[in-house]
Amino acid sequence: MKISLANRIEVALFRHRLFVLVLFFLTSVFLLFQASQIRLDASFTKNIPLEHSYMKTYLKHRANFGGANNILISVCDSEGDIFNPEFFTALKGVHDKLFFIPGVDRIQVKSLFSPSTRFVEVVEDGFAGGPVIPADFQATTEGLAIVKGNIEKAGIVGGIVADDYSCAMVKAALLDINPETGEKLDTLQIAEKLENEVRQSYEKNNITVHIIGFAKMVGDVAQGAKGVVLFFAIAIAITAVMVYIFCHSIRLTILPIFCSLIAVVWQMGMLSSLGFGLDPMSILVPFLVFAIGVSHGVQMINSVVKKVGLGLTCTAAAQASFRALLIPGGIALLSDTVGFLTLLSIDIGIIRELAITASLGVAMIILTNLVLLPVMLSYMTIKQSAKVGQLKEESTVWLALSSFATKGPAVIILSITAALYLVGFYKGQELKIGELHAGAPALHESSRYNTDTFLITDRYAISVDYMSVIIETTPEACTYYDIMSTINNFQWRMENVAGVQSAVSLASISKIVNAGYNEGNPKWRVIPRNQQTLVQSIARVPSSSGLLNSDCSVMPVILFLEDHKAETINTVIDAVQAASKVLGTEQVQFKLASGPVGVMAATNEAVSEAQVPMMLYVYGAVILLCLISFRSIRATAVVILPLYVVSTLAQWLMTALDIGLTVSTLPVIALGVGIGVDYGIYILSTMSTKLNEGAKVQDAYLAALKERGSAVLITGLTLAIGVSTWFFSDLKFQMDMGILLTFMFLVNMLAAIIVLPALAAFFWPSKAEEEKDSGEVQIAGRTGI
Amino acid sequence: MRFLIFTIALLVCSFSLTSYGFQSESPSPAIQAPLADKSLLLDITQVGQSKLVAVGEYGHILLSNDGENWRQANVPVQSTLTSVYFLTPELGWVVGHDSTILHTSDGGESWEIQYFSPELEKPLFDIAFDNENHGIAVGAYGQTLRTSDGGKTWQSEFHQEFLLPDDVEYLAELKQEDEEAYLDEIAFILPHFNKLVKDGRTLFLLGETGMLAKSNDFGVTWQQFEDIYQGSFFGLARTKTGNLIVAGLRGHVFRGIKNGSNWNEISTNTTALLNEVLISKDDRVLILGNNGVLLESTDDGLTYRLHPQKDGKSLIAGVLFNGKLIVVSDVGIKQISL
Repeated sequence: MKISLANRIEVALFRHRLFVLVLFFLTSVFLLFQASQIRLDASFTKNIPLEHSYMKTYLKHRANFGGANNILISVCDSEGDIFNPEFFTALKGVHDKLFFIPGVDRIQVKSLFSPSTRFVEVVEDGFAGGPVIPADFQATTEGLAIVKGNIEKAGIVGGIVADDYSCAMVKAALLDINPETGEKLDTLQIAEKLENEVRQSYEKNNITVHIIGFAKMVGDVAQGAKGVVLFFAIAIAITAVMVYIFCHSIRLTILPIFCSLIAVVWQMGMLSSLGFGLDPMSILVPFLVFAIGVSHGVQMINSVVKKVGLGLTCTAAAQASFRALLIPGGIALLSDTVGFLTLLSIDIGIIRELAITASLGVAMIILTNLVLLPVMLSYMTIKQSAKVGQLKEESTVWLALSSFATKGPAVIILSITAALYLVGFYKGQELKIGELHAGAPALHESSRYNTDTFLITDRYAISVDYMSVIIETTPEACTYYDIMSTINNFQWRMENVAGVQSAVSLASISKIVNAGYNEGNPKWRVIPRNQQTLVQSIARVPSSSGLLNSDCSVMPVILFLEDHKAETINTVIDAVQAASKVLGTEQVQFKLASGPVGVMAATNEAVSEAQVPMMLYVYGAVILLCLISFRSIRATAVVILPLYVVSTLAQWLMTALDIGLTVSTLPVIALGVGIGVDYGIYILSTMSTKLNEGAKVQDAYLAALKERGSAVLITGLTLAIGVSTWFFSDLKFQMDMGILLTFMFLVNMLAAIIVLPALAAFFWPSKAEEEKDSGEVQIAGRTGI
Repeated sequence: MRFLIFTIALLVCSFSLTSYGFQSESPSPAIQAPLADKSLLLDITQVGQSKLVAVGEYGHILLSNDGENWRQANVPVQSTLTSVYFLTPELGWVVGHDSTILHTSDGGESWEIQYFSPELEKPLFDIAFDNENHGIAVGAYGQTLRTSDGGKTWQSEFHQEFLLPDDVEYLAELKQEDEEAYLDEIAFILPHFNKLVKDGRTLFLLGETGMLAKSNDFGVTWQQFEDIYQGSFFGLARTKTGNLIVAGLRGHVFRGIKNGSNWNEISTNTTALLNEVLISKDDRVLILGNNGVLLESTDDGLTYRLHPQKDGKSLIAGVLFNGKLIVVSDVGIKQISL
């Protein structure tokens, strides 16, 4: 059936070659136009598991407490303290610049220079106070001394003045819309203004300017993502060189690269037509599509040129190659597609988007490289003497390699593989879930953004790693002692958990305010039992503080953590659950979780829950496809076992390199398996034909190497090169993905040419057994013709 | 200056109360917390030769033999504890919010509740014992409790002598008209009693609105000193030469020579609230205050030098122990070398 189907397609395609070309041309023009419309699309909600209970809590209360789109600018004096005229001029400048950036909530711009920065002190008959920087401020020694005194009274050290007085902060919140245009705020534009107008203008001499906040981070990530274009160009250039070395022909080099680029254009065009944008995380997909396309193109050229060498005309060779490669190539690409599609099972928008983008791209390759490429090749003239992928010493190399398929070397290879597997399995157990490094995980630890983050968290009593536990209770709950006391006790339990640096809630603030109302006497630092006094102690806390909603039926306890490592997060989550069991009631419910670390906790849980099912789906799909194409359990096992060993080794690599299992690295494992299986399929399809003809395993393997060996090598290298350029990306997650994919591609290739034949030597052991299985091999062999 | 003594021997009312004022709310015991010695602690005292006891928030009572390593005693309440007093190395009392009085007879290892009345909504701020039977506890709104059986029972006292003359009249009228409103009123009309200082046979009482009084009968009757300040007082000590140093709100320090017959205000160059006055073995006067204020005088309290502590935390109470100043603060135990 299959033969006739492949035949029919082949005849139909090659009879109407010109029509096929025109059709491809028109489609490409249309999709190129569509692709040019594609937009970069990064939204926060795509990165989080929306169905997770933490995220439901988070989204429910986001309107009240989610306004966390803040900008923090720390202006520092690198020599001594801030009390000098130059510094105050610079700080005033930064304050004013920030104030006038459209989209900044001007009411909330806070620094020493904002009128809302006041000190209050207790005097005999009540409170007294004034602005920290008086109206008649002069930057003289006396003026600065007054300001210093006021700063101490205002209790803002650690908040908007650094603990060691080396820096001062300007804080602002961003609006959702740009008030000047009425449109959605362009975060990237804000980031650009912060860099060009604020940092560039004021960072000079002793003054340094450090900017953090979501908008700035997104700006830096987008800046880093722009480097991708360069990486893509480099990847194309290196790939072209590789292909040229393989085929010694410029025209033959251009064809597969051209066809692969067409696949990329089609994929982008389709995405755009379907209404998707390109996320910084899915920027890897065009690389992959291109690399996979080239690798399959190389197989095609290899086949055509070899057939021309046997005396066929170009057209006949192209036609025969199409027939020969449609099934193994199609199966390989199909398994890639299915591998990607399994990612749809994960409840994180961005991974699903990656699944759609990638599977779409690979599906396009089936059309461009298995159909368009042979059709185009059929128009070419290739000299019979053309040698593709044949080095002089090649046959000796192949001969040496073929000994891998004999018992002796096979035992050694398999023992080493088994040992590696065991170590990999053991070490891979230590694989950590989540982000393992400090700072914004998308960026390198050494990036300006992250060094600025470290400086700010170091010098101020500010942490960017915080998690909010949301307390859902009854309206006006903050006026009841019992409820506030419960929140207070909960907070104290949390403060005692290892990994929690400090915590804040309306309850803890009310204690300090209560002491303030009692002359600042620390013995009154309690939650007042008396309801009127309690109301008085919370009345000064506005709902914009993020510590209560408008009727204080919802109050978060904000936990500042030492870091956002998975262990820390897990310890804290466990402690929250334990404490809420003891303290929680019908009236007072402790709900996880909001804040950046709350989001991470949910994501970590989603990722860790998805890991096993995803592997099962990927392997299930790959095994099923192998079973269908080879119709042999042995053949399937020979392909899958090396793949599995490599996946295990990849986990070891992640552990060794301190790469955590995250939203960006989880898909890599699926992609690696989906693509890694290609090598095995190509090699085994030739081998099974030969085995079917009665050849010994070693001979069958030698034949496979002669036919496909160099193509497989080139394929592995092309794929690896395509992704290895990411090592140099400004974005940490791209670098991690690059390392892992390069490893998966290279090692899977090595496994296919080293471990696979060794396994085969045992799986097809002797003539006698082979006789018994010949029927099976026969069928399998036919599919590979 | 004149030395005015208002001798008013008055106990307007005396309620007899059992150990527990209120049974409806049974308190939960304090939880063991790793950070207990870094939490808000409000008082510290030395017990015997080599033991320190500190008390604070969440029912924390901490014991140490070296001032560095602290362990948490088992305490039957979670209320914020404000003051600790030991009569002997074994017998001690602690007071705190929710009108809590706790007692130990094993040097602070185990504690039992002698009094607990959260419904009064008044904290107790200090406690002192004349002997093992007779003691007095004072707190906010002039709350005064007295025992003559070692704390088994406590009687409430209302010290009308600390009322303003206008208030005395007003209360007398109110009592005629509306007994209930009168009781409500007297519950909160007196100034806060912040501290008791036992000095030989004399007991000093410090409080709100410049309240400064002494008693020779352990607080049954009080003699008020002349008004020298309208803010609150929090700490008092007698120097080796017999002069009194009293400290209070906004950096105010007064030096009373000859047992307080004549008071002089001393300049301190700080406006921080001053919590406690200590006298070291080598006769230095040390005053602890909020915002990291530590004042030191080497001339019998006449002039002070400011040693600001960098972290700016409130220094609330302290003891001089093995040559070091061990202080409790809003971030727990702190050691300050002098």
